[in-house]
Amino acid sequence: MPSAATRSAPPTTDRIGQFFADLAAFGHLATLERESATLRFDVPGDAGRADRWHITVRDGDVSVSRQGNGTPDAIITIRRPAAEALVTGRLNAHAALLRGLLKCEGSIAACMMFQRCLPGPPGSVGRVPPISSATVMAWHDGTKGRRT
Amino acid sequence: MSDRLVQILEGNTFVVSDDRGDIQASLTDPTGLFSFDTRFLSRWVLTVNRQQLSALSTDDLQYFQTRFFLVPGSGTVYIDATLSVIREREVAPDGFREELRVLNHENSPVDLAIRIDAASDFADLFEVKDALKKKGDYHAEVAGNSLVLGYRRETYARETWISATGPADIDEQGLSFHITVPAHGQWSTELDVVAMQGSPDGSTAAPVRVRGQAHGTRHVRRDQARGLEKWLQRAPTVECDWEAVEHVYRRCMTDLAALRFSTLTMPGRSLPAAGLPWFMTIFGRDSIFTSLQALPFTSELASTTLLALAERQGTRVDDFRDEDPGRILHEMRYGELTAFEERPHSPYYGNADATALYVVLLDEYERWTGDTKLVRDLEHAARAAIAWIDEYADLQGNGYVSYQRRNDKTGLENQCWKDSWDSISYRNGDLPGFPRATCELQGYAYDAKIRGARLARHVWKDPAFADRLEKEAADLKRRFNRDFWVPDGEYFAVALDHDGRQVDSLTSNIGHLLWSGIVEKSKARAVARHLLGPRLFSGWGVRTLAEGEARYNPIGYHVGTVWPFDNSFIAWGLRRYGFDEEAAGIVAGIMAAAEVFDGRLPEAFGGYPRLATRYPVQYPTACSPQAWSTGAPLLLLRVALGLEPQGDTLAVDPALPLRFGHLEILDLPGRWKRIDTCGRGRIHTDRLTGVR
Repeated sequence: MPSAATRSAPPTTDRIGQFFADLAAFGHLATLERESATLRFDVPGDAGRADRWHITVRDGDVSVSRQGNGTPDAIITIRRPAAEALVTGRLNAHAALLRGLLKCEGSIAACMMFQRCLPGPPGSVGRVPPISSATVMAWHDGTKGRRT
Repeated sequence: MSDRLVQILEGNTFVVSDDRGDIQASLTDPTGLFSFDTRFLSRWVLTVNRQQLSALSTDDLQYFQTRFFLVPGSGTVYIDATLSVIREREVAPDGFREELRVLNHENSPVDLAIRIDAASDFADLFEVKDALKKKGDYHAEVAGNSLVLGYRRETYARETWISATGPADIDEQGLSFHITVPAHGQWSTELDVVAMQGSPDGSTAAPVRVRGQAHGTRHVRRDQARGLEKWLQRAPTVECDWEAVEHVYRRCMTDLAALRFSTLTMPGRSLPAAGLPWFMTIFGRDSIFTSLQALPFTSELASTTLLALAERQGTRVDDFRDEDPGRILHEMRYGELTAFEERPHSPYYGNADATALYVVLLDEYERWTGDTKLVRDLEHAARAAIAWIDEYADLQGNGYVSYQRRNDKTGLENQCWKDSWDSISYRNGDLPGFPRATCELQGYAYDAKIRGARLARHVWKDPAFADRLEKEAADLKRRFNRDFWVPDGEYFAVALDHDGRQVDSLTSNIGHLLWSGIVEKSKARAVARHLLGPRLFSGWGVRTLAEGEARYNPIGYHVGTVWPFDNSFIAWGLRRYGFDEEAAGIVAGIMAAAEVFDGRLPEAFGGYPRLATRYPVQYPTACSPQAWSTGAPLLLLRVALGLEPQGDTLAVDPALPLRFGHLEILDLPGRWKRIDTCGRGRIHTDRLTGVR
């Protein structure tokens, strides 16, 4: 039988578990200061059971547990492949909601707060090399700006 | 097909039809029922005995309600009109209702076949603009007493539910009514159209309203009308000897009501959307500028804008969305292309000004309202915005805010308010490379730091942070006045280019610099002289680009037209530096233009000299009213009366054009509760505006 320590450490392939473990490890997120809400994150499994995480935010302090009591302010439901894409930055939460991949029940404000904890897409570097005047003029020459 | 388009809306749901109430859209034709950036009806055609009708008259009852009076016949040859049809349509947040009434004017009963043809292409607004092909599948079915039109692409599903109160024969292309109308009698039915997100697993469930058969038209109508009435009642009263000013003011407040937009997270509150109907969504820049303009008259738009933008403030680095931590969003969208990340508007962050302007609005809001609680609640958002200026916006490491898109396919090239491709150019017409540091961005950054320092000192109780910001602001001002000043022209360059060289054309942007306070006193007079000089000032207002520059064109979008919004902030800036006469010239010019446009200023109008055309020439734009044009007269009234909050009172220092005569604004809300202000026009502006 595995020890408590090994049981709580998620396998490296469990990206969702890893995301929530990281979130709990932060303990406090400045971007959530003055925010307080409870959230349940449900990932439905094949046998009708859901993997669940309960997230509690109290003025920026974040805690995560697998057990929860009481009714959360919001419940997010998302199937595993989409959930993995979401927590690794390959799927945008707003896009997922519009596409019907992510369901949000209860407080939309709480769901909005949660999406701020999600990472950006892998490979985003934040800077791009400068572009010279000559290049810009070449784009527009004769095209009157219809460059796409 | 009729030429005149009729549009009504509620929130971000709107209907554009011809003047008979019919919709016959193609992929590129912008008519239809739109909700959340998606077209839910592209065909909605009424026939009586297989004939379309013609319009006798169309009344826009309210911004959300229209009535169409119709008769059978083609419009050129009337069949004798023994029959009238009245369609009364009203937009609701999730669709529309239409009451259909048929009146028989004959002395005998008449049998009629009434038919509504319905279809939807479920086009994304962006697809309508760019004529793109759909990637999903359509379906239509009759479900109980409803016709359901649907579209599905993977898990993305959208449905339109159509039902009627009267007995109808429903098929997949529409609804038919076989009726007998008694002599001198009438028949009516109510049609209900609901736009909704379908279920991702394909199961069809009727929307609540259809299931419950609760046709709540009357309740909605009363609520909407009452909402508008209350909004207008709460607004201050403007009285002026120049009657046009009163009319312009009332029109602006009514249009501002129509432009109110509620987000899903704050359903009871509203912020200003950018324009009607295509820009009924949150835009960082437009919502902030409009909130600033309207602040003396209503502070609710500002507080909602501040909260909504904070909720969506950037938290990560995302090149597709041009997102950075702390950055304030540019534009939010809800359509299919956004859903599949074919467009970055989820939201898109590509602007370089809204983040600094966010701090400016927060401070100005507190000065008017005294609402320190909101300033405390948004402390983190404001600090993150200020941090963005230093850590993410200085792309060249030269201490200036500049922009360059990272999404080079669907991102915005110009991330300042002049966002068209040719808006930023050298005198000779060449376009600079990227990154570009436009001048007004430095002004906004300066102002954000000065105002952020005030909030840090007085509300956040962090004097060390305040000191730091003031020091940085002073340093920025010193460097800016050295690096952007064009000595041989005596004005500020519109930008620094990718090499740090001046982009040396003369533009209206220098007016925003006065507003921000970044201009050294010794340089201000030369700037004011340019703004009201013959190259920039048309007599109606300040042109976006000066006559004599290579790309100048009096009907070029950002290269010669006059923008009322631009002018309202320039006038504010002129007064800030004590140029009362010059400010009055702009107030008089733009108000006179507003009078010509019957109170509703367009986004932009031609930069032709006033003496040459006599009337301002409207630039063709897709949206009317446009939020920041609607806000312009409001800000100009503030500027003309010189209204400035000072502690718990409101200082009044009029600099009114003679034409105004006596001007009073009664019941101005603010930290002083309600206050009455007035002034008398004493400044001769006819010489400046070229009237004489």
